[in-house]
Amino acid sequence: MKKTVLIVIAVLAVIVVAAHYADKATRLSTKGASTRADNPNGGGKPAPDVTLQDLDGKDVSLGQYKGKVVLVNFWATWCDPCRVEIPWLIEMQQKYGAKGFTVLGVAMDDEGKSVVAPFIQKERFDVNGSKSPMNYPIVLGNDAIADKFGGLLGYPTSVLISRDGKQIKRITGLISYEEISKTIESQL
Amino acid sequence: VRLAAAVLAGGLLLIVVAAMPSRPQIPSGREVVSAAAYVSSDPVARGSSFQIAVVMKIRHGFHVNAREKSADYLIATDLRAEVPAGFKGGDISYPKGQLRTFAFSKKPLNVYEDQVILRMELSALANAPLNAQPIPLKLRYQACSHEVCLPPVTQDVDATVNVTATAGAAHPAHPELFPAQH
Repeated sequence: MKKTVLIVIAVLAVIVVAAHYADKATRLSTKGASTRADNPNGGGKPAPDVTLQDLDGKDVSLGQYKGKVVLVNFWATWCDPCRVEIPWLIEMQQKYGAKGFTVLGVAMDDEGKSVVAPFIQKERFDVNGSKSPMNYPIVLGNDAIADKFGGLLGYPTSVLISRDGKQIKRITGLISYEEISKTIESQL
Repeated sequence: VRLAAAVLAGGLLLIVVAAMPSRPQIPSGREVVSAAAYVSSDPVARGSSFQIAVVMKIRHGFHVNAREKSADYLIATDLRAEVPAGFKGGDISYPKGQLRTFAFSKKPLNVYEDQVILRMELSALANAPLNAQPIPLKLRYQACSHEVCLPPVTQDVDATVNVTATAGAAHPAHPELFPAQH
């Protein structure tokens, strides 16, 4: 009898391990990821302790924003929907920046600073009729950073972090300006 | 005892099902496009020209930027060959894209959807090595759905050319892809 139980347990363990690796193989990044449907509220998990570099090569840690509401926005210069969001993010930074909120843009271009820096310098976005530059901090990301956020399925991906450092909302794809604004306001 | 074992097995099965990760709804960039290469002649005679067609099958609900991209910042579809000794690479022709408007885009984008065929002209030189010769191809593209964009991908696509020294032995192949030669 014991033998039968052991065999059942062993078979189930193999299924669990196989399912885990099969799932990993289908992900965009090497580690698991959450989707809008999987985990719409970010799970309330603590934000990862990551340190990134800004365009001047200075370290920027997510921990230094503790006490603020942070919208981490993974984007790339070649990504059309990311560009659609940028004016909204600029507006949010203008509107809520003084109230303890910041957007943190994580640029995921493979070429890094060489393409991101000229983009930031050159591009202006239509925000309520005026041409505005990106007014929030931009750091350079990579797959390792994305993995610490649970992996990414596509761009843009945004993660809203509460003042006490918990991931409270995660959106893969375009954010809804109204919806995310409401959530930000509820956190300020 | 049997009942206890059955209950234990059932409980474990429930735990397994609950713990099994759900398949993500968004595939990786590599999964969005399947690409295969076909040669217009089999075998190819030394001293003759031939084509390689790369058929890109794009997953439903996704698109890739066409060769003629709608904006400078977009990443165009690109095919390159590592042409080995004994062969000469020629022009690559890309199909026209289709103008499509997406939820995230204010203006229409020139994209490929469903299936497209890219064509490369090549020649087997008089000194081309005989028999099966691999011609490695690299296909680069960047895919998006209506909601998200996936990072650019470079896929290796392998074409194999069977070279013969006898001109009369060459035969057209894959008429569905190369109708002009039939």
